Amino acid sequence: MGRYVIRSAVLRWAGFLLFWLLLAAPDLGAPVIDILVDLLVGLMAAAVAAWTSLRLLPPTPGSLRYGALLRLAARVLRNSVVSGFSLLPRVFGPRLSIAPGYLSYPVRLAPGPARAVFGALTSVVPGTLSVGTDRDGALIYHCLDVSQPVAEDLAIDETLLIETLGNKPEARDAVPRRKGEARA
Amino acid sequence: MRLALDIFTIVMVSLGGLFFLAGTVGLLRFPDTLTRLHALTEADNLGLGLVVLGLLAQTSWPLGALKLIALWLLALLSGAVVAQFLGAAVRPADWRTDDVSGPREDGR
Repeated sequence: MGRYVIRSAVLRWAGFLLFWLLLAAPDLGAPVIDILVDLLVGLMAAAVAAWTSLRLLPPTPGSLRYGALLRLAARVLRNSVVSGFSLLPRVFGPRLSIAPGYLSYPVRLAPGPARAVFGALTSVVPGTLSVGTDRDGALIYHCLDVSQPVAEDLAIDETLLIETLGNKPEARDAVPRRKGEARA
Repeated sequence: MRLALDIFTIVMVSLGGLFFLAGTVGLLRFPDTLTRLHALTEADNLGLGLVVLGLLAQTSWPLGALKLIALWLLALLSGAVVAQFLGAAVRPADWRTDDVSGPREDGR
């Protein structure tokens, strides 16, 4: 077990404990014994959560680039607002103007946690939903409107995530393949 | 100041309600499961996000605010994960391959 494994185990346990305290918000006016019992439950819950997270997401050396992380968060937020508002007239309009279809996006991120994070981040934005991988390892997206430049947007998100994880973005070699099945 | 915060809350929570309504109308009007999943992100992400943003002006700093933001992030995370699994399950056959069947990369 490397030093960084123990370090990240302690950090994650502390993080989960803080999160538990935030959500549970123990009543500080209660008798001391009650607070201690509450805290014991929190300590155990945080330990189980940390153990689970270490199993599911083994720590790797290296750290996140926080500047890029902020830019990524701002971009996802901005995308959400823009596509959320652009969806409003489509939903309420008399003619439901959507053009749903699939898009296969060849990801540069390696399979595993990084790709799962990418799938989740992009699925949070209304209008794009990652629905799995195809035989070539490309991510399949279902889009509410395939006439939008979805692949170009995804490429920008991916570059930011790669920067966040501390890797240099590589030159793009594959062009995303598009397959729409427009439906009225 | 108090009045400005209250107006901010009313505007943001109402706007959030509009997105919840849009998500619900989309859920009813959209033609299939996958398009309906998109309608749910609209409510989860923007609807709940705007309601939380509006309530931030009414809560205690920093603990109450952090708690509200944490709840929004938890809803986002669970929504994104569940939507991906549902989407993978209903993906039609021509986008399905024998060896891969879900958002997981290990092939199960």
